[in-house]
Amino acid sequence: MKRAGFTTVSLPVFLLLPQLVIIAVFFYWPTVVALQSSFYLQDPFGFGSTFVGLQNYADLFTSREYHRIASFTVVFSVLVTFFSLAIALLLAVKADKILRGAKTYRTLLMWVYAVAPPVAGFIAVIMFNQSWGPLTQFFGMFNYTYLVGVNFNDTAFAMVLASVWKQVPVNFIFFLSGLQSIPRSVREAALIDNASAMGRFWDVTFPLLAPTGFFLLIINITYSLFDTFGIVDTVVKGEPGNNPMTLVYKVYVDGFRGNDLGGSSAQSVILMVLVLALTIFQFRLIDRRIHYT
Amino acid sequence: MSLSKMRKLKLSMIVDHGVLILGSLFMILPLVMLLQMTTIPDTEIIKTGPTLKIGDQFDDNLYKAMFEASGFAGENSGLSMLKNSLILGIGFAVGKILIGMLAAYAIVYFRLRFATLAFWLIFTTLLLPLEVRILPSYEVVQWLGMLNTYQGLIIPLIASATATFFFRQFFRSVPEELVEAARIDGAGPVKFFIDILMPLSKTMIAAMFIIMFVYGWNQYLWPTMITTDEDMYTLVRGIKQIVQVLEGAVVPEYGRSNVLALVAVIPPVLVVVFFQSWFVKGLTESDK
Amino acid sequence: MSKTTLISVAASLALTTAATAQTEIELWHAMGGALGETVNQMVENFNASQGDVQLTPVFKGSYEETLTAGIAAFRAGEQPNIMQVFDAGAATVIGAEGATIPVQTLLSENGVAFDIEDYISGVRYFYADSDGKMIGMPFNSSSPIMYYNVDALEAAGVSAPKTWEEFQETTAPALAKAGYIPLAQSHLPWIFTENFHSRHNLPFATNDNGYDGLDTKILVNNDAIKAHFTALSDWKENGLFEWYGTGWGDNQTPFEEGKVAIWLGSSGSFGGLAKKDLGFDFSATFMPYWEAVTTEPTQTFIGGAALFAMSGHSAEENAATAKFFEYLSSPETQVFWHKETGYVPITEAAYDMAKAQGYYNEQPAAEVGIQQLSLDAGDNTRGYRMGFYVQIRDVMNREYGRILTGETSVEDAFQNIETEANQLLARFAKTQG
Repeated sequence: MKRAGFTTVSLPVFLLLPQLVIIAVFFYWPTVVALQSSFYLQDPFGFGSTFVGLQNYADLFTSREYHRIASFTVVFSVLVTFFSLAIALLLAVKADKILRGAKTYRTLLMWVYAVAPPVAGFIAVIMFNQSWGPLTQFFGMFNYTYLVGVNFNDTAFAMVLASVWKQVPVNFIFFLSGLQSIPRSVREAALIDNASAMGRFWDVTFPLLAPTGFFLLIINITYSLFDTFGIVDTVVKGEPGNNPMTLVYKVYVDGFRGNDLGGSSAQSVILMVLVLALTIFQFRLIDRRIHYT
Repeated sequence: MSLSKMRKLKLSMIVDHGVLILGSLFMILPLVMLLQMTTIPDTEIIKTGPTLKIGDQFDDNLYKAMFEASGFAGENSGLSMLKNSLILGIGFAVGKILIGMLAAYAIVYFRLRFATLAFWLIFTTLLLPLEVRILPSYEVVQWLGMLNTYQGLIIPLIASATATFFFRQFFRSVPEELVEAARIDGAGPVKFFIDILMPLSKTMIAAMFIIMFVYGWNQYLWPTMITTDEDMYTLVRGIKQIVQVLEGAVVPEYGRSNVLALVAVIPPVLVVVFFQSWFVKGLTESDK
Repeated sequence: MSKTTLISVAASLALTTAATAQTEIELWHAMGGALGETVNQMVENFNASQGDVQLTPVFKGSYEETLTAGIAAFRAGEQPNIMQVFDAGAATVIGAEGATIPVQTLLSENGVAFDIEDYISGVRYFYADSDGKMIGMPFNSSSPIMYYNVDALEAAGVSAPKTWEEFQETTAPALAKAGYIPLAQSHLPWIFTENFHSRHNLPFATNDNGYDGLDTKILVNNDAIKAHFTALSDWKENGLFEWYGTGWGDNQTPFEEGKVAIWLGSSGSFGGLAKKDLGFDFSATFMPYWEAVTTEPTQTFIGGAALFAMSGHSAEENAATAKFFEYLSSPETQVFWHKETGYVPITEAAYDMAKAQGYYNEQPAAEVGIQQLSLDAGDNTRGYRMGFYVQIRDVMNREYGRILTGETSVEDAFQNIETEANQLLARFAKTQG
């Protein structure tokens, strides 16, 4: 609070009220409900329910399938995060270097930020169409029969590719603005000290970009965990089958498609703990920076 | 500069442009492909897939996608989905900014006894995205009888304090002398907010609006659950319908579907491209 | 007041209500695209056929989405009068006694004659309770049947196989030699699991396939079906069978493109196939069976979905719902629906009417589903009733996909299905407590 604040009492309460009411009803209440229903098994129509204690959690922790989905989610997040950061960094470094057409490139490379994830998934579905998809045909040239929806890894790759495509622009914007905020004097000094461009990048630019990179790391992990829902859902066409899926998709499949409220709530609570841990980690290491959720 | 050094420089420039051009193509080609498919009759597309050919079906498909509702998903035309998307995008952005600004103003500029409590109550919401409490949120909205309504669609999405947090950061960076000067001039808190703080926040508001508009427009999971009446569908939620209908159709209507996918993409892209500098500034500055 | 005046007042009151206000009722369904248009057409016909009831159909998305939307609405007290629920959701909706009014009760209370024997044998009991009382009105009823490319079979010099042994030894090799992929199918749990058990009259679950109680255990881990999936994966390896993923359409398309010679799909796919310009003649016949398992193959049961009358509405609205059900089950409506969509007619009278019109002389393949549903019944052919069945199907789809992509063995897969399905069933039992 500012030292020189106003002292009116009723006005600030009035100003805070809309925010407080909304978060009470749509944040705290649902969070409590999630916790509560994770201890029950209930009939979706609301006729019956049984208190089962921690059984919903126990079922998840002992389920081999849940472990598989969790490990896939980890692998998926690592791949998406790594490739979208790496590609964005490369493009940002190049875009920062050139003089002519810089603005055009910036526009061309960032607009995909505004594309919704399910559209990215929809494009992947077309690209990997089993009979005529351009990328299916591309892999066919190397005698590889690409089968999205059939082969687990093929489907996973399509999801990763679509997720990376959608995420490169955000990283690009941040990296580029990070690069452009490096003072001229530092660059010039580096130019004298270090002859090779590669050397300059690793010795000077990269360390200066590290805070941006770390912040982006968290953003990208959150993105891979949650925002890719639309991509997963469109690529598997709503039929999980033997396709890969992420933890958030599993919450949806069990809770919304299968009407298992207790099991799905327990999964929600597990995710809450996970996100909480991730956020605390983030605040600890690079406090005060937050992301859009 | 020696000749060999010049040549090296030139070579590296070619490489730089090469990488950037490749990157740009990687970004753009998928959308070009969607567009190409809308110009070819569906009966041909399902045999050949996307090609380099440009046909003349675009107008027909555009008309079908925007104005015809039957046969595709019942009663939702592209136009009504576009309307819903706009309501969601704008409603979300305006609601979030308004509520966030007011709350941030209260927290930063007033002496409140329970200020710390309010602060923590509000900022805890930053920790948990909607996705992890999606099912209970759905239940709450259902209990309140807000399924298939715009309120049910928009308000729960607002229940996170990102905007409040950004405005709090911003207000704290406003020089303190301004408040003192205002007080000496006899300006009350309402006058100060409207006459001084609002004009100062213009750029911030614009940047936030763009980011929030895109965020709201692109929502998928929440609208998928909350809207089951077709006349409430947004374009992005409609993608689910598109994929389902392509699955079982007599002749999959790629032309029409792709037009809808493109219409779902174009408005937020235009906003981001036209207000690029605000948007970039808002995104990178406010995140600090 | 004398008795006569009372009656006349009542009569005049009834007249005024009829004249001033129609009863408005709502139907939530999951029939998108062309099927949805047929639903709309049928409802328009119904509204035009009488003046008391105005029915509004509302499309709610996929089967799963429709069920979830209906449940949510019920909990919010805003349920429609009629809701379409698919086969896998039957246990959930029928288990929630009090959420629906059994169709049999609804009809008899509103003076509509009802005799379950009027319905085609395979249709009668799927949506019935353990006592055989019909709870949901069968609506879009289909059964898995075998479609084949007539030109392909001619080119290979074979006829449609009656048994899987015949397919394996004669049909498939000849078709492969003629350059076709002999076989594909569109729904492994429905076609090769649920109806596999029915066709061979094998028990699918304890408690009479789950109808008689909640402590049901699935019996899917048996030798007959394991042998079937072993054969499938062998066929796949030898180019006699292909699997294009869990999606329905992905498996149907290669048949339509003429790459696949025999495709197992829904009898309800007939309407769509007939409307397409396929470039070859197609026909259909019964699902093959394994002679090694049985020499007396039995009927299959219906898939698709049924209409449930939701409780919590006024007697007047319930009467209106009964009126629509009466219209729906009339032979004329059933024949219209049957011809437009390919779904089977649900009553014997409707079937007879279609026969009398000579429809099956023009379209012999349209009759296959009904004939198959009318084959001999057995102890295990009326259907199944299992909770959380949507998830159980997901488990099956996942494990079957893994078998067919070589990620797991048939033995392990069925072990997993059994374990996970039983766990889900036990969990479901607790939700009903």
